[in-house]
Amino acid sequence: MAASRWLIVLLLAAALCAPGPAEASTLTDPTGLYSTLIGDHWVYQAHHSSPDLMVFYGEGDFELLYFQRLGPVSYPSALAFAQRSVELYSGPGGLEQFELVQDFREIEVAGVWGISCAYAYQDGQGNRLWEYRIFLVLPGGEGFSIAFSDSKPEAAEDPPLEEILRHWRWLF
Amino acid sequence: MRTKGVRRSLTLVLVLLLLLGAPAGACAAGLAARFERTLGAGTAPTLIKEYGGEYILPIQQRLWVEEVFRRVAAQSEREDVEYTLTVLNSKEANAFSLPGGFIFITRGLLSLIGSDEAQLAAVLGHEIAHVEKKHGVNAVLRQMGLSVLAEVGVAAIDFLSAELLRLAGLTLVQMLQAGWGREAELEADALGQELAARAGFDPAGGIALLDALAQADSADQPMHLFRTHPEPGQRRKILEEKLALFWSEPVEVTSWEVLERLKQGRNSHTGGRSDPKGRYVLEELGEPSLGVRLFDQQIQGHVTWVEEALVRNAAWSPQGEHLALLVEGKVQREVWILNRWGAVVKRLQVPQGTVTAFSWAPQGSLLALEVEGPAGRAVAALHVQMEALALVSRGLEAQEALWLDGALYFRHGESWYSTRPPQMRPVQVAEPVPVVLQRQRVLTPTLIREGNTFRLTRPELTPP
Repeated sequence: MAASRWLIVLLLAAALCAPGPAEASTLTDPTGLYSTLIGDHWVYQAHHSSPDLMVFYGEGDFELLYFQRLGPVSYPSALAFAQRSVELYSGPGGLEQFELVQDFREIEVAGVWGISCAYAYQDGQGNRLWEYRIFLVLPGGEGFSIAFSDSKPEAAEDPPLEEILRHWRWLF
Repeated sequence: MRTKGVRRSLTLVLVLLLLLGAPAGACAAGLAARFERTLGAGTAPTLIKEYGGEYILPIQQRLWVEEVFRRVAAQSEREDVEYTLTVLNSKEANAFSLPGGFIFITRGLLSLIGSDEAQLAAVLGHEIAHVEKKHGVNAVLRQMGLSVLAEVGVAAIDFLSAELLRLAGLTLVQMLQAGWGREAELEADALGQELAARAGFDPAGGIALLDALAQADSADQPMHLFRTHPEPGQRRKILEEKLALFWSEPVEVTSWEVLERLKQGRNSHTGGRSDPKGRYVLEELGEPSLGVRLFDQQIQGHVTWVEEALVRNAAWSPQGEHLALLVEGKVQREVWILNRWGAVVKRLQVPQGTVTAFSWAPQGSLLALEVEGPAGRAVAALHVQMEALALVSRGLEAQEALWLDGALYFRHGESWYSTRPPQMRPVQVAEPVPVVLQRQRVLTPTLIREGNTFRLTRPELTPP
């Protein structure tokens, strides 16, 4: 009897101590285009955001996540959108020491197929940054981009966007 | 000596050509365009070198500038010219054009223009107009005593030596510094304004640019553009006089429904008294009073602004950014524009007469004024930001200005007329690219635990 009581106490203690699901909040775009679940360690940057651009700072000094609406675009495909962007990023007036570290790959974001890639570059302070980016041309011809960057190469190889993309919903 | 020799041989070629029968008009025009292109292409490297080389703009700014340029250049009428734009690496505020469609703008002028697309369209329109009107090539040929060649379409250019092109290029560079002459500059202003308006930009952009240049010039910045052109006051006046032409021709209103709505609008006096942002409520003025009294909901008390002014009328702009006042001035009535904190940001006089009433346009950038002057009553639209006035009633005796569905209505006798402002289209880049952001460094104190006490350290103020 005493043993089973101890067992219940142990089980209760284990349940209380077990790591729960990471804290997250539902993010709904103020313009009503998308929603997703975003971890609470991402701090919304109201000062750098606008209705078309949502910016979040993560842990450390460089983690950055941002979603951008680009309005109507005339690109025939997400690949053309990605290619043109990378062409300008790597060209004169673009990003310093640009290097495409992950070639274009198809990716699905809540039923919409887009193109992902990753690149590295040097910022104005001389820091080497890695950025993973998804390019999308939404039904109706609007351009959209999801970007994650950090000062670690893992940002390009394994961006922590799985949860965000899994919960992504288009509201159109 | 060499010029004299070239000139003599040119004359000979010309006489020969005339004797043999000058080429047909189309052929001559094609040769003229080739000459312009060759002359411009040959001179461009010298100009680029002289102005610090080509400047590569950051991606987003480049796409924006290119889109404005594309739209304005698309309005050009010369099919034999292909327009190109080069940004020059000079902090001097200047812009140029070379024959053949080579347009140049300095980074200094772009910096002055900032993100004002109407100003950018105005300067690009002006430079494109020079090429459209062949001001450069004609001025060079005149200077070299070859204007007769210009008149026959420079038909003989294929027979001309490289030496002549070199000399023409040198003349072009020298003349570029001084402008193409007063008449040419005024003509380029007018056509440039038209090209910009047709491309969907505010035709008052040129006025704003002249004002910005004047302000920068007085701040002792290098404003070369300003010095090579005719007197800015005169240019501003001419551009302002043409503004009304970009409004649609006033037409008499015949729709019964619209007339009924106008009647309702005429009888209502509620608009503009409440602050659209909800903080202030204007008190009834009744008779002209000293200053304007408002109830401030935030401090739950009354405030009086511009106590020294005798105010006849007041109205909030539709977005609540400004409060317009009709003030009795020393000489004549003035329109004062106040910001949300009661500071006077503009004081405007109307040279055409006394303002009797005003009303804000729905977009908040225009103020319709009812004006009474020696020439009779008129309705004018005031571009508030540019301080430019367009007499939109176009000579009709007009009164009672009202805005309805984006159009301005006024009464002429017993009839109502309507006119529409120029249609403007914001810049939308067809193939935009996403921005690349970096985190902004924030200085935050560090929390250090020492036993049972916590200590906040000052952030490190070392530059990144």
